[in-house]
Amino acid sequence: MRTTLDTLYRLAGALAAVGMIATLVMVTTGIVTRPLGIYLRGTDDYAGYAMAACGFLALAYTFKHGEHIRVTLLIDRIGGSVQRVLQWVALLIGTGVSGALAWYSLRLAWQSHAFGDISQGVDATPLWIPQLALAIGATVFLIAMLDDLVMTTLGRPCARLANAGQEPARME
Amino acid sequence: QTTWDMPTPYPATNFHTENIQQFANDVASATAGQLKITVHPGGALFKGPEIKRAVQAGQAQIGELLISSLANEDAMYALDTVPFLATSYAESAKLWSVSRSAVEARLAKHGLKLLFTVPWPPQGIYSKSAVAAMGDFKNMKIRSYSPTVARMIELMGGQPVTVQAADLTQALATGVVSANITSSSTGYDSKSWEQLSHYYDVQAWLPKNMVFVSQKVFDGLDAGTREALLKAAAAAETRGWQVSEEKTAWYVDQLKKNGMQVLPPSDALRADLKKVGDTMTAEWLERAGADGKSVLDAYRAAQ
Amino acid sequence: MDLMVAGLLLLVMLVLLASGVWIGLSLIAVGALGMLMFTSRAPGDGMAVAIWGIGSSWTLTALPLFLWMGEVLFRTKLSENMFRGLAPWVERLPGRLLHANILGCTLFAAVSGSSAATCATIGKINLPELERRGYPTSLALGTLAGAGTLGLLIPPSIIMIVYGVSADVSIAKLFIGGVLPGLLLAGLFMGWVIVWSLLNPDKIPAGEGRTAFIDKLRASWGLMPVVLLIGAVLGSIYTGVATATEAAALGVIGAFIIAAAQGSLTRESFFASLMGATRLYCMIGLILGGSAFLTLAMGYIGLPRHLAEWISGLGLSTGWLLVALTVFFILLGCFLDGISVVVLTMAVLLPTIQTAGIDPLWFGVFVVVVVEMAQITPPVGFNLFVLQAMTGRQITEVARYALPYFLLMCAAVICLYTFPGLVTWLPGKMIG
Ligand code: NA
Ligand code: NA
Repeated sequence: MRTTLDTLYRLAGALAAVGMIATLVMVTTGIVTRPLGIYLRGTDDYAGYAMAACGFLALAYTFKHGEHIRVTLLIDRIGGSVQRVLQWVALLIGTGVSGALAWYSLRLAWQSHAFGDISQGVDATPLWIPQLALAIGATVFLIAMLDDLVMTTLGRPCARLANAGQEPARME
Repeated sequence: QTTWDMPTPYPATNFHTENIQQFANDVASATAGQLKITVHPGGALFKGPEIKRAVQAGQAQIGELLISSLANEDAMYALDTVPFLATSYAESAKLWSVSRSAVEARLAKHGLKLLFTVPWPPQGIYSKSAVAAMGDFKNMKIRSYSPTVARMIELMGGQPVTVQAADLTQALATGVVSANITSSSTGYDSKSWEQLSHYYDVQAWLPKNMVFVSQKVFDGLDAGTREALLKAAAAAETRGWQVSEEKTAWYVDQLKKNGMQVLPPSDALRADLKKVGDTMTAEWLERAGADGKSVLDAYRAAQ
Repeated sequence: MDLMVAGLLLLVMLVLLASGVWIGLSLIAVGALGMLMFTSRAPGDGMAVAIWGIGSSWTLTALPLFLWMGEVLFRTKLSENMFRGLAPWVERLPGRLLHANILGCTLFAAVSGSSAATCATIGKINLPELERRGYPTSLALGTLAGAGTLGLLIPPSIIMIVYGVSADVSIAKLFIGGVLPGLLLAGLFMGWVIVWSLLNPDKIPAGEGRTAFIDKLRASWGLMPVVLLIGAVLGSIYTGVATATEAAALGVIGAFIIAAAQGSLTRESFFASLMGATRLYCMIGLILGGSAFLTLAMGYIGLPRHLAEWISGLGLSTGWLLVALTVFFILLGCFLDGISVVVLTMAVLLPTIQTAGIDPLWFGVFVVVVVEMAQITPPVGFNLFVLQAMTGRQITEVARYALPYFLLMCAAVICLYTFPGLVTWLPGKMIG
């Protein structure tokens, strides 16, 4: 189970990284083709979709690295069982909000499909396709939140993705 | 008492937005405050591309949109941007009267009810250098923002370059693009004389904004309020068309006053642009099918 | 009524943040609660539209790319070289290398249109170096938080574009108008570092001694890659090769070229920079998304509009009007990001500004400085978030370090009011 979940988070993270590369490629293509007199339709719109894939698919991956920020001043100050309860409450609220985000993101893509909503730019992309990145990313984020909520409820430590082979990005 | 949220894409000072604010005030006074429309200009609530779906899905009750921004959905929405088909206010009004029911039918399929439309002043060509004939557009980088504009630039021999609104000023100033096709009002609003020197008043087309309401929300109003709303909409349409036409000359004057060379197209250029228009009318017909043909036939008969 | 609504939402936000709920999710929760309690509209679908809208918008693409550029540069020898290059020149100023932070941000601000990207990039390069040399954390983080905001005032600037469009002011003039105030702020920050260092001489690590001019020049050779990179990015913008948004992509490619030339571009460093940038962008993106939805909720509730209408209706003199607006923007800036503040209020405020006879160009630069303050005020301040993510320190701690720079920005606002020429003189020299 642990391996499956971690693989899911890593896979979403890898797809997000592909989104980052695609953003770079799309924007660069726009710059390079201009002086060559080539007109590629919609590179700027595709760059936007690629960026969306990057940001949304990485939600769980970033969360599981402990890099979504929050104020832990209070949680750190108080110890023992009160701390665990507060941690649990924060996770419960987080699960609720990310649950809503996942549900309405799925609805967004579904409605776009039902309305036949098409991008108004020159790309003319059916919007439900790029919006799947938000729907999937938010759903995996919800799974990661539930993962931590269950672990905390059971009194077990929350799993974090190992940061192997990486130099410390932090100042401390 | 009912309150509606109305997202609109253009800034509060634009004449379209001012007209809509007047419409909202009229509705409020005609219904003795029973229907209050809160206008959210400048994309404050929803950005332009989100407004249609926001009304469809019920996040807003009423909204404003450039009709041709829906051109990817259906060719009928692109009719008022076919270049050189209707180039004056009178022609534009005729074109609208023969195509209105077709646009309404398409909106109805999405649960939307059209209230009124207001045209932008005619579209002209802004450039950094003099353009005497079609050949001068050869390889010129011209800003494109929609499939129709891109196609027109290609047919003119220029190179379409997509530039987003946010980047436009800088793109014009630094030569990412050296020409732009838009109305005299937009050219005035964006102070185009700071980057460009020539304005060719070619009157390519008069794009229109439309104000639409969710059919379901509209049906939920009582008969008196519905009537008051439609009356205010009709008044807004008349007023909007009038203001747009009256202001056109003023905008062109302002361009001149700020040192821009405002010129009519040369006869050769006009003839060549007309050919581009004919090609694009034919292409539009191909896309729009039988519906398109009957609308176009009706327009030609009316002329 | 409005005061009660504002107070209640504020309270809910503080409780959520204090209980350790992730910041982006807290913003979403407050927005949803506000809509459920004070409007008849359902929050769910609007939330998805708002978050999708900001997450896929073209203007934002510069942000992840600039963050990636920073991650690549951080893994090159550039960080060392930048210090070796700048050090001899600021060595004799009290505060020494802290000035490298401010100068680095000022330089980078001329490349980047955003405050968060400026803060993240210079922070990634400079913080480890300052830490290693034993500079006090309070000043290292404070100067970075403060000077990072220059990304908004020194052109190119995303927020100036937004203001220019909504207030109908020439964006080119706004850009030029931001230059002198930007340099003024950088000067104020450096002045403060000098004063602080003279008062606390023992807290600043010893310098490396005097260097001969020729050695200074030789050390500055290490700055060449940075100068070339800035030249490439700025050059591409001003020669029309790329737009201000696109230039970020050239920055990433340039950073890769520098890394390759220095032999530090390996498979590992490539993937480390890629994944690091992805996570950093995702972190900022979630908060931006939450902020976008909170803005939508505020638009429905009408709170900023009502407050702006109320201020407009007070009939204040020009001076007091500006004081009231400064307080108003600082308060809004505590909870919303700068662009949202501008979009939500400008339609209502602009007529008041014009009636009071305030030059909209001057007002634009004034708004940008006040929005810069918003980047370093808790609970919602993007530079604070960036530094929290980078150092793992509490946002309250970082905010405390940033306080002097907030006060210096207040002083800058007074300067701009007293000497409006700081804003209007350069644009006046432009033709047209
Ligand atoms: Na900048
Ligand atoms: Na703030």
